[in-house]
Amino acid sequence: MTELYTEGDVLRLHRKIAIWTAALGVFGLAALAACIISAATATTLTAERNEVAAIIISSLSGWVIIYCAIFIIGGARKESGHAKTLIDGERERVEGKISLNGERLKIKKSVAVRGVEVVTPDGTKRFWISESRVKKFKKAEPTAIYISHGYVAAYEERL
Amino acid sequence: MRFIKNVFSQLHTFVLWALLSAIFWSWIFTFATDTSPEKKVSVYCYVPEISEAELSAKLEEDRPEGIKMIKARSFEYVMFNVDYIENGDIFILPESLISEYDELLLDPSGGVKIYDAKSSSGSATEFIRYPEEDCYLFLGANSAHLEDGAAEYVAENITKLD
Repeated sequence: MTELYTEGDVLRLHRKIAIWTAALGVFGLAALAACIISAATATTLTAERNEVAAIIISSLSGWVIIYCAIFIIGGARKESGHAKTLIDGERERVEGKISLNGERLKIKKSVAVRGVEVVTPDGTKRFWISESRVKKFKKAEPTAIYISHGYVAAYEERL
Repeated sequence: MRFIKNVFSQLHTFVLWALLSAIFWSWIFTFATDTSPEKKVSVYCYVPEISEAELSAKLEEDRPEGIKMIKARSFEYVMFNVDYIENGDIFILPESLISEYDELLLDPSGGVKIYDAKSSSGSATEFIRYPEEDCYLFLGANSAHLEDGAAEYVAENITKLD
């Protein structure tokens, strides 16, 4: 059985979040310091130029921080939350003809997922798999999957 | 591609941040580069063009005692706040507008000719582009610097500028 998420993955994501948060904090403080220095050193002659510089520094650094906070730190946070749910959740084994059905979904405050279909003797069952794990899943050609909270948490592959 | 898609999905946040930055830092700089009327001499010029920062900096090179800043401004600067202009210390006005602003002037008939349109010569022409008419310099009627002589001191300095 191959796990899609491990405790190691969660730890790696937590480390990523911590490093990016610290880096953005340092970057934000440096930008703020630059703006404060430009305000504190402004003279009658340089005030206008310093003001424009402060606005540009503040806007650009803010954009970088917003982007990284939403898409890098936020993305890692969602991924780690999703991973923890799947690791801790109860599992159900489903066997059959497994395929990705092409359905894509972006769950609010969670990860982007892709639809998975399993044709069993009892009929077709539909589940979801995290978009970030699709590549690995596709390569493996699984014969059975382990479902947790409606998501693929692990799989068995043909030996 | 993904980067552009992400940026567009949060475009409103980026625009809002830029606006807040502009408002916040403009506010901070207003405080950082301004002071109370008691420590400042304000010069208001009704002229087509003025290098405000350069003229202010030049006048600040020789400040009267107790004065921290000298602010040279165009009338356009105070278009939406009449209070500023009412307390102006020095005014430079074209001849045709003296009667319009006479309430602001200490002595409307006693202005010092600062620009002669006929000869195209005058004071502070390096910093001020005068209109096509004679211009006069006046002390403000409500100036906070009449008694301490600071307004007169700065006015004299203006007349000495090239």
